[in-house]
Amino acid sequence: MSRLFRFLGRFAVTGALLVVALVVGVALWDYYLDAPWTRDGRVRAEVVGVAPDVSGLVREVVVRDNQAVTRGDVLFRIDPERFALALRQAEAVVAGRKATLTQAEADLARYRQLSDNVVSQQRLEAALATEEGARAAHDQAVADRDLAKLNLDRSEVRAAVNGRITNLDLRPGAYVATGRAVMALVDSDTLHVEGYFEETKLHRIRIGDPVSVHLMGGGVDLSGRVESVAAGIEDRERGASANLLANINPTFAWVRLAQRVPVRIALDPSPEARQLTIGRTATVVVRPADGAEPRPLGGLWRGWEALKGNLAGQRRS
Amino acid sequence: MPDIDLYGVFVPALLVYAVLAFGVSLVLRRLLARAGLYRFVWHRPLFDLALTVVCLGAIAAAAARLT
Repeated sequence: MSRLFRFLGRFAVTGALLVVALVVGVALWDYYLDAPWTRDGRVRAEVVGVAPDVSGLVREVVVRDNQAVTRGDVLFRIDPERFALALRQAEAVVAGRKATLTQAEADLARYRQLSDNVVSQQRLEAALATEEGARAAHDQAVADRDLAKLNLDRSEVRAAVNGRITNLDLRPGAYVATGRAVMALVDSDTLHVEGYFEETKLHRIRIGDPVSVHLMGGGVDLSGRVESVAAGIEDRERGASANLLANINPTFAWVRLAQRVPVRIALDPSPEARQLTIGRTATVVVRPADGAEPRPLGGLWRGWEALKGNLAGQRRS
Repeated sequence: MPDIDLYGVFVPALLVYAVLAFGVSLVLRRLLARAGLYRFVWHRPLFDLALTVVCLGAIAAAAARLT
């Protein structure tokens, strides 16, 4: 009989620890595999490729590498002489056309004053046509002059957005071509964090949930909110086909990986957030709208607190 | 702290916790054996496994609370 009791006692000790281990194991599993946090996040922003609108030699680079600029600041100047000359040329053409127009107008006025006996209808119409032609030519010259002025203005390349210049590799004397980007401007107004969450965690993320962001290497911790979840990601199992029919890779994988879906985090404004280097790695932790940050065994701890609260309440009543 | 920096190699903290937990449970096992407490245990390997898991949970929770 005592042997049976001894056995039951030993069984109970082992079983109790086993139950505790199971509960702890499930809690750990929940935190590491299901809780909405990821080590795979990146600081991101839109990057404007600054390209000149006119071609030419660079005369002066006004900005330094990594300098903060505001919208409208001059970044670099292209040698304006060619454009100034073009403007003078266009102005000269305007003056010439203006003279022709004045003469044609005077001729027309003179012919109009003469009576029908002296000037033929045909001659009058010819004068009218000459005057209209001269006016059109003058208008064209004015437009050409405005274009030359625009080109001269555009020889100063300005920042289109607020942000920071980076990886500046432009020296005076370089030849820049229209439309080819020569420096990167990081748009600091669009700075945000993107968390690449496994698709299995998405159902625990709601838009507007508070988020804490820890940058790799520590130091700066930021807060923010879930702004949006990506509307789509590439289907890797589907290839292109020549005849417009679906082409699905015939795979049957035993081991499958959850795909990553980008979740966009809007950062709360702060001085640190404006100084972030884009591309940095971040750990993104999403909290439920009114809950605590997920922690290992956090659920267990909260459950225990709730249980204690309940017991205390029962004892009082 | 989700990563632990091992001289430039960032490994998941869970890996480090697991190694630590194994070490701690080894020590605990020695102590239990020396005190003769394994007399009250029915299935020793099962008990040791559960001990390691509990150690892992305790270390992970403590680390999260400290950082």
